[in-house]
Amino acid sequence: MSYFLEQVLNGLSYGLVLSLIAAGFAIVFTSTGVLNFAHGSIVLLGAYLVAVLHDTIGFWPAVLVGLLGAAVVGVLINMLLVRHLADPNPGTAAILMLGVDIVLLTELTRRIGNQVLTLGAPWGASVVRLGDVTLPTGRVLAAGVTVVAFAGLWYLFSRTDLGVGMRAAAADGPTASLMGIRLSRTAATGWALAGILAAVAGIFLTSFPAPGVAPTVALSAFAAIPAWVLGGFDSVPGAVVGGLLIGLTSALVTGYEAELEPFLGAGFGEVAPYVVMIVVLLVRPSGLMGSKEAVRV
Amino acid sequence: MKHRVRAATLAAAALALAACSTTAPTASGGGGDDVTTGNGVTDSGITIGMITDLSGPFAAGAAVQVTETQAYWDQVNADGGICDRDVTVDVQDHGYDPQRAVTLYRSMAPDVVALQQVLGGPTSAAVLPLAEQDGVYVGGVGWAGSALAYENNQLPGASNAIQAANAVDYMVDELDVPEGSSIGVVYFTGDYGGDALAGAEHAAEERGLEVVAQEITSQTTDLSAQASALAQADVAGVVLAAAPTQLASLAGVLSAQGADVPIIGMNPTFNPSLLTTPAADALLANAYSMTSVSPYDNADSAGVQAANELYASAAPDGAVGWEVPLAYVQAELLKQALEGACESGDLTPEGVVAAFRDGGEVDTEGVLPDGLDYSEVGQSPTTTVFVSKVSRDAEAGLELLDQVSGPSAESFSYGG
Repeated sequence: MSYFLEQVLNGLSYGLVLSLIAAGFAIVFTSTGVLNFAHGSIVLLGAYLVAVLHDTIGFWPAVLVGLLGAAVVGVLINMLLVRHLADPNPGTAAILMLGVDIVLLTELTRRIGNQVLTLGAPWGASVVRLGDVTLPTGRVLAAGVTVVAFAGLWYLFSRTDLGVGMRAAAADGPTASLMGIRLSRTAATGWALAGILAAVAGIFLTSFPAPGVAPTVALSAFAAIPAWVLGGFDSVPGAVVGGLLIGLTSALVTGYEAELEPFLGAGFGEVAPYVVMIVVLLVRPSGLMGSKEAVRV
Repeated sequence: MKHRVRAATLAAAALALAACSTTAPTASGGGGDDVTTGNGVTDSGITIGMITDLSGPFAAGAAVQVTETQAYWDQVNADGGICDRDVTVDVQDHGYDPQRAVTLYRSMAPDVVALQQVLGGPTSAAVLPLAEQDGVYVGGVGWAGSALAYENNQLPGASNAIQAANAVDYMVDELDVPEGSSIGVVYFTGDYGGDALAGAEHAAEERGLEVVAQEITSQTTDLSAQASALAQADVAGVVLAAAPTQLASLAGVLSAQGADVPIIGMNPTFNPSLLTTPAADALLANAYSMTSVSPYDNADSAGVQAANELYASAAPDGAVGWEVPLAYVQAELLKQALEGACESGDLTPEGVVAAFRDGGEVDTEGVLPDGLDYSEVGQSPTTTVFVSKVSRDAEAGLELLDQVSGPSAESFSYGG
């Protein structure tokens, strides 16, 4: 029983980190209609900044720089590239983002080399024990921070003018613009928020139980894509549910691989998120919480 | 007008054919010898190729290998070259893209006598069959058993299955893993991991152990779920065929769960920078490395010392690690093949392949185990591997413990 519980808690805490990334995808999509395939590199960028700076300025200031750095790069991508697209449809923007991803990832890979950079997180490799269940402290913290982050997002979107403006812009841009909402401002806020969420996720994806910052982290971020898609392309709550579902599925399928292997074959844990995504989309083509008219490519 | 178009088409076709064709061997009197030469060899020079990854995921390690390789051949040229000819290395970048690797191979093949390296599993899998058809030597493709089937491929030491079988033998013989217990095998999907799993399963059967297998990909950087499953199965040791990130995560989580069992990683699973991560203590306590090539810190091997000195003078601030002796020995293997081809008077691509397959002695001065045998296509050239322990005292983090050839490694046979 404690084994089952351990895998469930492992899965949920990992799922919450994935949901941070998935929420970033969803926020960028709703605020600017862009499928941001450079998001994985921004996750890596946030973690990289913390890894290279923590020795000189300390861990927490480095975290601040990491979050700001990722936000600024997001805003710059939007300001310098996305806004100047001659043909602003999601397909063109998606291809542009693939290009941005290649450039960012190549440069970060070059800088990281074949090292695994440590993050210098003060929680190190410590663990929390709840009865028979052992959980890495980093994951418990991640769960707490994620819950706080989503509470903050909820407050922003439902209680502030800026957030309501962002929702209005997402629902109907031209009308929102006529009502006096500055689309450039809501778009920049969306990209900045996504960047911050990406950097937070990057920090937790690269601290214990993961060893540190390596270029593959950008690829791990793609594990959040099924969470984003099955949650509905344009829904932040959907991203949270999607993340939890994917995290839980991965952990349980991997944890019970020995029992499942005779039916499903080896390594099913890697495929399971996509199977869940396809099943959900067959039943609910707009995702769990997506709006029906969301544009897809 | 029509004539001119036709003539131009013919000329273009002829040009294309000429570019594709391989040069017919010619008897050469260059340097006063009587050697038959072919692609990549002139009277004064020999060109060898290296198709590597300078812009993709393995760029950093590949750069170390390129530096070492250049330094090695510069040294050979300074000592008089091969067959009275200077050796030039043509380095090209495939960016870990198999299609680009094939295109590069096609363009390089007419101008090189051999390829010292085609880095990467999927990239070398694309190039090997083409190079075999052309009779071109290919080295440095890693240690996957699938590459052994190619006559033109020279594996630098024991294959992945042999490393994994030795890892299991070592656990039983030296690390007190009792008969009847379970061991974990965590492996990358694909040639590398699949081959290691085959070796570990064979050895487990021979030694009366149960295998708990966990398949992962390079994207799996958090091995919590896998580690919990292994701890739940009460494994007495783990064989790991993955990369450094996975080694650190697995060691850290297993240790946090109180499962302090030995973890033996294959060739590329250790990187010295892991000793700066939070998993360092767990690695120092439990991690071993089972490698085909000697680790960087090996005072008893003249070859390793020579490799390290070359690298230190070529890149004084360069990152050190297992890539240094590996690149050195890949160049050394090709050098011996070229010298063999020269001696037998056939310095053509086919001559180079025949030279390393002739069953003659290969001496790498301790960078690879002694007694390498390349005469049998399809089998690992040796069953001996190097065992090292993660240590802060050793350069590049690995302290050499022993060279071993376990009973299961010796009884393992491909296709058998």
